Amino acid sequence: MNDDYLWDKSGEPDPQIQELEEILAPLRYQPKPLQLPNDVRRKYFRLLAIAATVLIALLAAGVWLKVRKQHTIPPQEAKSVVPSELHKEPEIVKNTDLSSKPIVRKRIRKKTFSQRERQEAREAKEQVLLALRVASEKLKLAQRRTQGPSLNQIKNQHKVG
Amino acid sequence: MYDFDATADVLLMRPQATAAMQQTDETAIEAVLVGAALAGDRDGFGRLYNLYAPLVHGILLARVPRAEVDDLVQDIFLHAFKKLHTLREATAFGPWIAMIARNRAVDFHRRSRATVEITDDVGGRNTSDSRAAEILEMIRNLPEAYRETLVLRLVEGMTGPEIAVRTGLTPASVRVNLHRGMKLLRQKLGFSEGS
Repeated sequence: MNDDYLWDKSGEPDPQIQELEEILAPLRYQPKPLQLPNDVRRKYFRLLAIAATVLIALLAAGVWLKVRKQHTIPPQEAKSVVPSELHKEPEIVKNTDLSSKPIVRKRIRKKTFSQRERQEAREAKEQVLLALRVASEKLKLAQRRTQGPSLNQIKNQHKVG
Repeated sequence: MYDFDATADVLLMRPQATAAMQQTDETAIEAVLVGAALAGDRDGFGRLYNLYAPLVHGILLARVPRAEVDDLVQDIFLHAFKKLHTLREATAFGPWIAMIARNRAVDFHRRSRATVEITDDVGGRNTSDSRAAEILEMIRNLPEAYRETLVLRLVEGMTGPEIAVRTGLTPASVRVNLHRGMKLLRQKLGFSEGS
């Protein structure tokens, strides 16, 4: 009996072991490709969907805030502006630092809105609010999709190891 | 990372490299491939699969019906792919996946006992195939310590040192298991000791 051949296939081959190897050869592992789950792309798609939804929501919020800011300026403040002041020359403040240029302060005119402009602003606000609602619904949908498999799927998974 | 991959490529893709060199470097390759797979390299895991599929196949073949083995091999590697982050030592992939395979075989028997007992006696086989199934059944009836080592050696064609490296057993244990298992198998087959 050749123990070396059994151990590492070295030395003189053992005919009995060789015979067994030949008989059992059809049972040997036949290479097959491994099918790995392709969930990485889906994961990225979900992240992209969430990012897009958040971006849309932020844009919509920005537009809405801008319109709201314009809309909240009280029109009566324009009445307090003295017409003579509007035509005043810009006030020049002399800087004590001689190296820098004099700072020029400009007066900002406050704009008044007409009835029609206000109406348009209100309509724009309504549109922005609608856009925000749509964006919010999309965000909810994306969150629901990213919450992972349902409870039934988790229950049906095999326990291994 | 590229250097490691290149090393793994060279060592894995060249069968003419000596067996001794492969055994020495196997743990290093294993660690590199596990690291690559953990970093999201699917090819890295594919190479681990190519390297360890015969081991898992042999472990299962020693325990479960032949018809179930291929599906179970795929299941085990898919499970390993998902749970690879739980592997504590990158160099212990072989013993880790071998343990998963053994547990899965136990799990299979626990489930099949409750339903239907599946046997390998499916009709329509040729003579050599039935002889192979007969000898495999004899090996399966040997004590547990011997049957896995014998299947890996006689069916999967692995050497004793390879079995030791991949299963995490000591070379001495593998040698003893091979020797004693072969002695019992010879007795069952009616082979004379000295021939």
